[in-house]
Amino acid sequence: MPRRNSIHKLGGEGVNEIATDPGRTTGLLKARISKSTTMKRLKRDKWLYVLLMPGILYFLIFKYVPMWGAALAFKNYQPFTGFWASEWVGFEHFRNFFQNPDFFKLLRNTLLLSLYSLAIAFPAPIIIALMLNEVRASLYKRTIQTLIYIPHFISMVIVVSLTYVLFTTQGGIINELIFQWTGQKIDFLADPHWFRPMIILQNLWKDCGFGTIIFLAAISGVDLEQYEAAHMDGASRWRQIWHITLPSIRSTIIVLLILRTGDLLDNGFEHIYLMSNALNRDVADVFDTYVYTMGITMGAFSYSTAVGLFKSVIGIFLIVSSNYLAKKFGQSGIY
Amino acid sequence: MPRKNRSVTEILFDWVNYLLLGLIACLMLLPFMYVIAGSFASEAELTERAFFIIPRSFSLDGYKYILSSNSIFHSIFVSVGVTFVGSLVNLLFTVTMAYPLARRDLLGRNTVLNLVVFSMLFSGGLIPTYLVVKALGLLDSYGALILPGAISAFNLIIVKNFFQELPAGLEEAAKIDGCTEIGILWKIVLPLSKPVLATFGLFYAVGHWNNFFSALLYLNESSMWPLQVILRQIVMLSQGVGSASQLDTTVQLPEQTIKMAVIVVGTLPIMMVYPFLQKHFAKGVLIGSVKG
Amino acid sequence: MNLNKSRRWLAGILMLSIALSGVTGCAANKEGKANSSAGEEADPGEQTPMKLTVMLPSFKTTMPEDDSPVVTEIEKLTNTDIHLEWVPDSSYNEKFNITLASGKIPGVMLVKEKSPSFINAVRAGAFWEMGPYLKDYPNLSQTSAIVNNNISIDGKIYGIYRGRALGRNGIVYRKDWLDNLGLQAPQTIDDFYQMLKAFTTGDPDQNGKDDTYGMVITKFNGPFEVMQTWFGAANKWGLDDTGKLIPAHTTEAYMEALRFFRKLYEEKLINADFAVMDSSKWPDPIVNGQAGALVDVTDHANRIEEKIHAALEKAGKDDESKIFMDTIGAVSGPKGLRALPTSGYSGLFAISKSSVKTEDQLRQVLNFLDKLNEEKGQRLAGNGIEGRHYTFVDGNLEASKDEALLESEASGLNQLLMYLPEDRTLKLKASSVKQKSEAVQKANESIVVTNPAEPFVSDVYSQKGPQLDVIINDARTKFVVGQIDEDGFKAAVELWQKSGGVEYVKEINELYQAASKQ
Repeated sequence: MPRRNSIHKLGGEGVNEIATDPGRTTGLLKARISKSTTMKRLKRDKWLYVLLMPGILYFLIFKYVPMWGAALAFKNYQPFTGFWASEWVGFEHFRNFFQNPDFFKLLRNTLLLSLYSLAIAFPAPIIIALMLNEVRASLYKRTIQTLIYIPHFISMVIVVSLTYVLFTTQGGIINELIFQWTGQKIDFLADPHWFRPMIILQNLWKDCGFGTIIFLAAISGVDLEQYEAAHMDGASRWRQIWHITLPSIRSTIIVLLILRTGDLLDNGFEHIYLMSNALNRDVADVFDTYVYTMGITMGAFSYSTAVGLFKSVIGIFLIVSSNYLAKKFGQSGIY
Repeated sequence: MPRKNRSVTEILFDWVNYLLLGLIACLMLLPFMYVIAGSFASEAELTERAFFIIPRSFSLDGYKYILSSNSIFHSIFVSVGVTFVGSLVNLLFTVTMAYPLARRDLLGRNTVLNLVVFSMLFSGGLIPTYLVVKALGLLDSYGALILPGAISAFNLIIVKNFFQELPAGLEEAAKIDGCTEIGILWKIVLPLSKPVLATFGLFYAVGHWNNFFSALLYLNESSMWPLQVILRQIVMLSQGVGSASQLDTTVQLPEQTIKMAVIVVGTLPIMMVYPFLQKHFAKGVLIGSVKG
Repeated sequence: MNLNKSRRWLAGILMLSIALSGVTGCAANKEGKANSSAGEEADPGEQTPMKLTVMLPSFKTTMPEDDSPVVTEIEKLTNTDIHLEWVPDSSYNEKFNITLASGKIPGVMLVKEKSPSFINAVRAGAFWEMGPYLKDYPNLSQTSAIVNNNISIDGKIYGIYRGRALGRNGIVYRKDWLDNLGLQAPQTIDDFYQMLKAFTTGDPDQNGKDDTYGMVITKFNGPFEVMQTWFGAANKWGLDDTGKLIPAHTTEAYMEALRFFRKLYEEKLINADFAVMDSSKWPDPIVNGQAGALVDVTDHANRIEEKIHAALEKAGKDDESKIFMDTIGAVSGPKGLRALPTSGYSGLFAISKSSVKTEDQLRQVLNFLDKLNEEKGQRLAGNGIEGRHYTFVDGNLEASKDEALLESEASGLNQLLMYLPEDRTLKLKASSVKQKSEAVQKANESIVVTNPAEPFVSDVYSQKGPQLDVIINDARTKFVVGQIDEDGFKAAVELWQKSGGVEYVKEINELYQAASKQ
């Protein structure tokens, strides 16, 4: 019994031509689909549905049942009073949020930080993974791999406090060095211009090593013969990376990128909160910290749910459109 | 990998690459070295010196404290147990769900995928989730640390993507041999997916290891707490909740050296997982086995 | 223990299979759980010990279990059967809210502050009002009227507060430096300035190097608020000439203080990185001999003293008789000696109506709290059991050296201490610095400036409070470091007013008038 899967090829090429929705399927598949009735297909795939069941139940119970909580955004929810007894306030929380004079400043800060970090922190692990992939000495490779993923286990609180120790103008080792070379000190921690670079630097330090793992796993799928063939043809290392390694992890990169766009409005509350101070707050205030300062007294639940809903709607929009774009350019997307 | 005929640029490429990676690793390591040095330093030295990687005086006070504390010891076992069982549950749930979803012709596949993606962005929030866990009777059980996070939508989608890229021919052959899909998954797909399983097993394990919040919410019995709850407790306290005036007179802050020692103890076990998984990341594992 | 755990596991697996077998499992279970939790605390009767759950913050890694000796002793003393629910302090607020939401509220829970969710729960009838009952209990009846006013919500008392000294704020400085410089302890703000100046430029450690500065300040706003009070600024709210309450930052005294801070910064008498400095490192520069003073709770004096001695001992150069630190309560300004008080309490014990159902039970719980304040109760909670956790050597108290034993049986229970009407725990022989610090705190009580708006629950503040506070606090820091000038600060005050400050002032004055009419 021939299956459509036989069209699949390694590397994902050709896969993309298949539309995901059976109703919109084209070409040679159409004929076959129309022949098989729904019942037949269900019967054919019964074991697949059995496999699917626990997962679906999980999502229904732990993700969808609690989703009534989204309605808190339209109430003035107080924990003790409970959901039903809390008063309905309609769109008041949304109004408060949008009409806040700082709204655009917050949006700008949030997006800028996310975009910078997308531009720098997203490719970094890919580059390091590619570099690691080129290392032949396996002991060296393994040592480096283990070392660079340690920082992932240091909590943000500690990272921020280490940053202070290293970067403060009052005896921090880095500023001491800079002072010796240039005779000046740079106020990395209070100068608003340094806020975003510092946040991204910390994120890089903490997570770029750990982020390589997923790409290394993807690279491990590459057919070694391809390299050998390329080598025979005299292709340089750069060309091998460009034409063999990168394409093999392309779909992983794209999927991660699409998923990443979904949380462009998230900056990681704790991190930003710890790094912000009176002198850099103009650039440091983002949605996440705003919700905290406002929500802490405002009945955190309803207000933060409202802001959360807003972020979700934007997130869905971004994911769906980036997925659409990916498909349009012939990539596999998340579906 | 053939090593003959290496040109000058090739050698240069290797050297630059090795050097750069070494440099990156050093930068990653230095701050952590400070934590390790701090865990062996005396409290006085930590107050006095800003940054160091070799302590002047050698003191085991931090580790002595950990050894003397029953709860830290106990909590390490809890963490190891929850991490191990939890990751297995995660992998089981994720793989069984991802495999059918990797079939593009599965009826209803898109509905399910939409369900998954949607749940990634919309969440009911803390309290509603808590109430569900409570209604299921999971409070004060380790199940509460495992089941509510049994599948990460993010990981699910990536695993599904990996499965999608497996060569389909193999499955065809197995199908003709009379295997059910479950059989195919177990006998063919999983053995081919070791790097994927290792990767996501690690991701899940790290997630469990680092998770303190679920324990805090769902476990009222302090004797059940995993290590991270205690670790965070020490770190947050010694990091200064604000100032002494916000603190109570009755509260004695943990010493810095204890904080450093606890971080080291809290990091080592999960770090040791990686080398074990590393062989599965070796190049060509997947293709090699396909051909073999 | 193990059996228990495997049962829990079994239950977990069972629940999973129920969950998997059908969606209805969820709804059906909700009821079952609710029923079982309802009867838990209900156990009236004078003779049998009352079952009581107490929720407390934990600051240690190990907490005393319910069957540990000290807890058992406390149970005997108070005729209760208590279950302690420990919550890590750093996450207490989240857990507090979740607990309120779950509907299963422990009989007694520590409420850290008058948070909106607590106020709301009080107004919705979650907790007992205990004001009328207090007079019947020997210790609880002696609570302070000022503090009770501070903890009140809509004029009523919903908890027993944990008393703390009101006059804790003061100046802590290096006495040895002062002596080296031949100066006297500062009396006035100008003396204080001269002291900081001399600490910075006069080589107070006599090492021949210019490596010291006057005072260390951190991110935390506290020191500025304490020093403002010296200049005559109100404690958040003050009366103007017409008898209306106005916020402190709109007064001239406040600006006067700001100029002073700016001068300190410009002359490098305070650390340049104060706006980013972590509070956990606050005392370090003084211990290291870089800075000479700080303004915060006077308890720092003794802690720093101990740290200096510990460091010297490590280096083998300690002289136990030498005293490094000293502390004073305040320095006098235009309005004389004034000190900023603390709130006078550190959280309060509230009694929930869902667990403590009848008035009889309420009286039993109040009796429990009252007994805890007896000498025996306070000593059990604060010191433990004699012979096990402490001993007397030559009449002096000596705590057990077994840190692990203390933690697993005694330490955490100090969270039960209310010190009502006074601290009755046993004390280690106090060092002279510690005695001084305690004396200063006592003396401060007569010069503290109270906040007349402390008891009021403002709706505007609960909507916009943090944002309002941030505007002023940030502007103050920016002014101090010279990022904005006085016009800039005035602009910030205007922004404050536009962002809800006007309504806030109006509301506070209405509440004030309503309260003073009574």
